[in-house]
Amino acid sequence: MKKKRNLFRPFAAALALALLLAGCGNGDADGSAAPGASTEPSQSAGADGRKVFRFGQAPYGDTLDMQISTGSASAAIADEITESLLRFDDDNNEEVVLLTDFPTVSEDGTVYSFELKQGVKFTNGTELTARDVKFTFERMFTPATGAKSFSYFNMIVGAKDMLDGKATELAGIEIQDDYHFTITLEYAFAPFVKNLGTSYADIFPEDACTQAGDSWGIDANLVGTGPYKFQSNDPNTEAVLVKNEDYHGGEVKLDEIHVIYYSDTTTKLLAYENGDIDACDLPAAQLSQYKDAYSDQITAYYPLGTCFLSLNLDIAPMNDVRVRQAISLAVNREELVEYVLDGAGIPATTYLNPSIPGHDDSLPVYEYNVERARQLLAEAGYPDGVTIEGGMVRQAEQTLATAIQGYLAEVGINFVFDTVDNATWSSERATGKLPFTFITWNALYADADFQVYNYFYGANSGRQSVNYSNPEFDRLMDDARSDTDESHRAELYKQADKFLSDTDMVCVSLYYPQFQFLAKPYVKNMKVGNLIYHLWNIDIDLDAQAAFNG
Amino acid sequence: MKRYLVKRVLLALGILFSISLITFFILHIMPGDAVALMLGDTADPNTLETVRHNLGMDKPFPQQYLEWIMGVFTGDLGTSYFQRKPVADLLLSAFSYTAKLAVVSYIIALAVGLVVGVVSALNRGAILDRGLMTLTVVGISAPSFWIAILLQIFIGLRFKAIPISGLEAPIDYLLPCISLGLRYAASIARITRTSMLEVMGQDFIRTARAKGLSPLRTVLVHMLRNALIPIITVIGADIGTLFAGSMLTESVFNINGVGKLLVDNITKRDIPVVQGCVICVAIICVVVYLIVDLLYAVVDPNIRLGGEEA
Repeated sequence: MKKKRNLFRPFAAALALALLLAGCGNGDADGSAAPGASTEPSQSAGADGRKVFRFGQAPYGDTLDMQISTGSASAAIADEITESLLRFDDDNNEEVVLLTDFPTVSEDGTVYSFELKQGVKFTNGTELTARDVKFTFERMFTPATGAKSFSYFNMIVGAKDMLDGKATELAGIEIQDDYHFTITLEYAFAPFVKNLGTSYADIFPEDACTQAGDSWGIDANLVGTGPYKFQSNDPNTEAVLVKNEDYHGGEVKLDEIHVIYYSDTTTKLLAYENGDIDACDLPAAQLSQYKDAYSDQITAYYPLGTCFLSLNLDIAPMNDVRVRQAISLAVNREELVEYVLDGAGIPATTYLNPSIPGHDDSLPVYEYNVERARQLLAEAGYPDGVTIEGGMVRQAEQTLATAIQGYLAEVGINFVFDTVDNATWSSERATGKLPFTFITWNALYADADFQVYNYFYGANSGRQSVNYSNPEFDRLMDDARSDTDESHRAELYKQADKFLSDTDMVCVSLYYPQFQFLAKPYVKNMKVGNLIYHLWNIDIDLDAQAAFNG
Repeated sequence: MKRYLVKRVLLALGILFSISLITFFILHIMPGDAVALMLGDTADPNTLETVRHNLGMDKPFPQQYLEWIMGVFTGDLGTSYFQRKPVADLLLSAFSYTAKLAVVSYIIALAVGLVVGVVSALNRGAILDRGLMTLTVVGISAPSFWIAILLQIFIGLRFKAIPISGLEAPIDYLLPCISLGLRYAASIARITRTSMLEVMGQDFIRTARAKGLSPLRTVLVHMLRNALIPIITVIGADIGTLFAGSMLTESVFNINGVGKLLVDNITKRDIPVVQGCVICVAIICVVVYLIVDLLYAVVDPNIRLGGEEA
């Protein structure tokens, strides 16, 4: 009896305290909710027959001004709002957007003539003219803008003068009338029109952009000719894009796109499971966790890149081609892809990615031969093995590096590396002295100039810590750059790739990565061709959505 | 008292100055470079140099520090390299989330902690007491981000009405506050229990009971009130920690608080933002401890501040 009373009293006290304090707690939470914030901003999808697509991605972290930002998370949003003259579809083919046709190019490959589509309007109501195009590039080359995209376009005549502050007008762009203009280059540069198809060449409206000044691209401050326009954008939580009713490219499929930012991948995937978002990226690390239960909602895609072991040719023993070949022979790429990557990749046959013109389709996967590797090492003067040390890898490549370490130990190579963070890694590489690292080098579009020239060309390979110098290879690169005949260019790249991947074995190519995304069955036309998620083709099947949500 | 106050404030300013100098120095000798990250792998050295110059990163270290500290006195904490927004704005927004989260979590922690502590003390040695105390050990030991993920999976995914991320609507606070508050609730419970047990054995409690006071009144007014002093000491330390933000819990629930802002920007080497976060957290801690020290004097007159005025 006594015991019972004792038990009851504390509970009464507890209840009293809990009620009192819980009351305070609630009051505080109520008071601190953002004014006007709806409890369920994204859960109304499809309820009223409106097509709303909710996409989850990491916060883009900087700006949506693609002259300044270099991130694909920024591009995924910016590309729905601002458009370049041309763009790449999700099969990596270039198509015209703001032009009537592809530009014509002069005999010597330096003068391009463009014709703009008529009647294209920015979402602020002003019409697109050649003046906006010139303004866009002049802004890019004005030092005060702080643009980072200029290196893709600084072959335009006069760009360097502007960058040096010697001119305020871009001599290389001449306007004939509102819809016709020419761009003159200092030298023939074959991939120029492809560079114009990237997000870095988004065309901005002169009036709105000038008016916005430094805040252009910040929050919802972005106006373009694209299929969607901003309703709101809080870079920490969510962007709401609404249909551009006057879109020059025809009827826009969705009423709204909500891009919801998740900094934690696990939370993003839980949100997908929970039905808070309709689609999101599925990183390789979580593939095995989802691949059985969600197999019908996973789509794989193959960016235009290659993952490889990058070696510094200035440092022994990697300066000996036989050692580099031995490293390659020591790695069983098929096994690596199957077990270490969970199948998310294609074993490499050469450096150049299979979707890039110039890739030699006849090549088999690199040979795995431990005996031959040992023999080559002995020939190179290391019959008792050798230590390769001082390399740095990032967290993301640590598992891969450990697997390679295991393979190399089999042939007598002691492979020693440190795991560092991204920032340390970047600056260390830029010194040109990093002995080795792992990297996936992606092209912005299907052109070998991007995948090869930027990394291995003599003048560029120093800052990638490769230090490759082969005049014959460099000549092939130069010739291919200025050649306007695409099939001839591809032939030149095939020859150059043979130097890289076979004769000189400059790097040890491992695999072509596979990425994947999750999308609910009612999401239509979702496809990714390279690194950037393009949302402009996506549609929602409302009936299927209703059925799916029961 | 006044003299003590002046001394403490001056000391606090000295601490803040030292912290800012040390952070600035560490950030500058740390390997890694925001511009190299910003521009990606294709950037040529000229571009790197141009961008670095535009951001003022090529100036000598003492000049950068002087310019920064002068800015601080005028309320200008600089501009983020990446987000191109004033650091003060970013901090204000992040801090509003951290503060809301901290206050609500701590209120929940206090409520739960006090109740569990009192119940345990009143049932000392019983199964209920042992069970609750075992739970508090779990609460103290389990990392809050792990609790966070468990809550997301076992509660968030099961009950549609409970969101698994964000911090806008009142219901959004539920999971993050539980995961963040649990640890504090557990430690408050243990201290409350100990402190209650100490008070329970004292004469005035027996007197209160003998007087015929209701049990509820005895517990709340006489026992708990006298047991509160050690609890208040703990609260001070906890608040300082909570307001510094919790990087992992904030990341898991996608809450853009100070902890997340700090770590995100350390990885990007966005020095102005990191510097701003550190100084902001330092100010909060210094101020909280200062207040706690002063409160001692208010709560317990036996603790004297400054000998002369005694």
